[in-house]
Amino acid sequence: MKLFAQLLQNKKAMTGLVILTIIILVAIFAPLLTEYSPVKRVGRPHQAPSWDHWMGTTRLGHDVFSRLVHGARVSLAVGFGAGLLITLIGTVLGIIAGYKGGVVDEVINFFTNMVLVVPNLPLLLVLAAFIGQASPLVIAIILGLTSWAWGVRVTRSETLSIRQRDFVKSAEMLGEPGWRIMLFEIFPNLISIVGINFIGSVIFAVITEATLEFLGLGDPNTVSWGIMLYNAQNAAALAVGAWWDILAPCFALAFLGLGLALINFAIDEIANPRLRTGGMLNRWTRMVRLGEGKL
Amino acid sequence: MAFLLRRLAFYLAAFLVAATINFFLPRLMPGDPIQIMFASAGSELSLENLNALKLTFGFIDAPLHEQYFAYLQSVFTGDLGRSIKYFPLPVTELLGRALVWTVGLMGIATVIAFTLGSLLGVFAAWRRGRLIDSVISLTAIFSSSVPAVVVSLIMLFVFGYTLGWFPNGYAADPLIDPAWNWEYISSVLYHGTLPMLTLVFVLMGGFAVTMRNNMINLLGEDYIVMARAKGLSDNNVMLWYAARNALLPTVSSLAIAIGTVLGGSLVTEVVFNYPGLGNTLYQAIIARDYPVIQGQLLIMTAAMLISNFVVDLSYVLLDPRLKKA
Repeated sequence: MKLFAQLLQNKKAMTGLVILTIIILVAIFAPLLTEYSPVKRVGRPHQAPSWDHWMGTTRLGHDVFSRLVHGARVSLAVGFGAGLLITLIGTVLGIIAGYKGGVVDEVINFFTNMVLVVPNLPLLLVLAAFIGQASPLVIAIILGLTSWAWGVRVTRSETLSIRQRDFVKSAEMLGEPGWRIMLFEIFPNLISIVGINFIGSVIFAVITEATLEFLGLGDPNTVSWGIMLYNAQNAAALAVGAWWDILAPCFALAFLGLGLALINFAIDEIANPRLRTGGMLNRWTRMVRLGEGKL
Repeated sequence: MAFLLRRLAFYLAAFLVAATINFFLPRLMPGDPIQIMFASAGSELSLENLNALKLTFGFIDAPLHEQYFAYLQSVFTGDLGRSIKYFPLPVTELLGRALVWTVGLMGIATVIAFTLGSLLGVFAAWRRGRLIDSVISLTAIFSSSVPAVVVSLIMLFVFGYTLGWFPNGYAADPLIDPAWNWEYISSVLYHGTLPMLTLVFVLMGGFAVTMRNNMINLLGEDYIVMARAKGLSDNNVMLWYAARNALLPTVSSLAIAIGTVLGGSLVTEVVFNYPGLGNTLYQAIIARDYPVIQGQLLIMTAAMLISNFVVDLSYVLLDPRLKKA
């Protein structure tokens, strides 16, 4: 809770949280924000943005805005679902390896290093190619099962140092069982690392889902930002001048990525106070305002 | 020496894991693995050719472990099968051709991004809390959180289609014959600029953030204070005392980053229609050309392991303590 209170005082974290909240609200209230169905033909193909379709239409005559707000649901669900899975596996294995040591540590560490050097995206491409048209759920699961290695490495090294502290030693003397020490003595001290791992994994999952779908490995019937990019690219949207078709999901992905990255950066600063930039966003907003003044 | 030998053994094991995944994946899928792998072959392949291809991937009438060794044998003798779409072109040749373009594009982009990103990180840390730190940090956050596909598409839209400064695709003007003359080389450079700038932007942020954090953690050290007390110039202390030591962990992050580079480069190539590994792979995915898709995992793993080994070597050079171990 202390971490959360500190987050609320950090400007970067607040900006990130605001961005994230906007996207979450849009995703929840998607059907109320638009009168159009995201999967029905509601206009002529590739209409430019107008009062009726204020982000234009796709080549199939779908409303881009409707697809965008509905697609937010999939991006967020895959991001947070896969992020949770990645963090869960990474944290559990990391704490066990760091605390137990010995053979258990050797085995976990060996596999972790192994997974770290097999390039992730090419591996995912092979997996997704064999699965065929992967639904967002399948993508989230394979992301979760293949991307935990970094989390294990970081959690493990932090656990190794915490394990030597007095409070862990005294818990051991008192005869607390191993699982209790790991869960109630060590885990609470890892909370900022787990937080960074979680947000980082969410960013990674959002990016990778969009990439896999863009490359044609997703299920083309889903409404998601990656599939929007895939369809737009297939329709050669840029070449025929339908920039709205491609730029809408692009900016949505960039916006979500930026929001999450700001939160991550802020947690990093709270965990390691030396890293603080000192009113960075203050200066940024002042600079932007100065720019506006000149206009 | 022992350190490097241990790393080599580890890399061999890692490569084996990638090969094992390739072997078991089609066999774990529901349905007939031969059907899945060679469904797109249709009637184009003669029975004789199809049987040769099956043999390469270990589909023989024998127990599973013998199939496995048959597959490993083909992998370790450099036989990755043949492309189904471009039959009878061997996968190694198809990917080898593409690899040249990717290594060129990626290599240059990584070197520039690493140099530029690290320098920016050094300046940001040195002027911590000042305006330049704010600008660099915010740019770095943005660059490391936006998907490569988004950056590629926006760059293509702005500089390719709208401003028309750079071509929209291909590695060179298709009307010019490939040759070692200035006309062709300049065309290659001109076509490569936009994808390269995209990759530099995508990669730079991560390096800058890592370098900044390393630097800041070092700035309180005694030897920095000592260097200042000696009256050395600001730049001297920044570059030769702080940055030099902060570089060490950055180099190891470079090894992990190479995986990201491969991923980012894949997508960028697809967007810019660049004839590297990424685009070849994209075509293979569309055609469900499984031997090519599987071959790329092995080739990319090999590329990643080799670059990791190079990083290990440079680590020994940068950190004299490791020479003894």
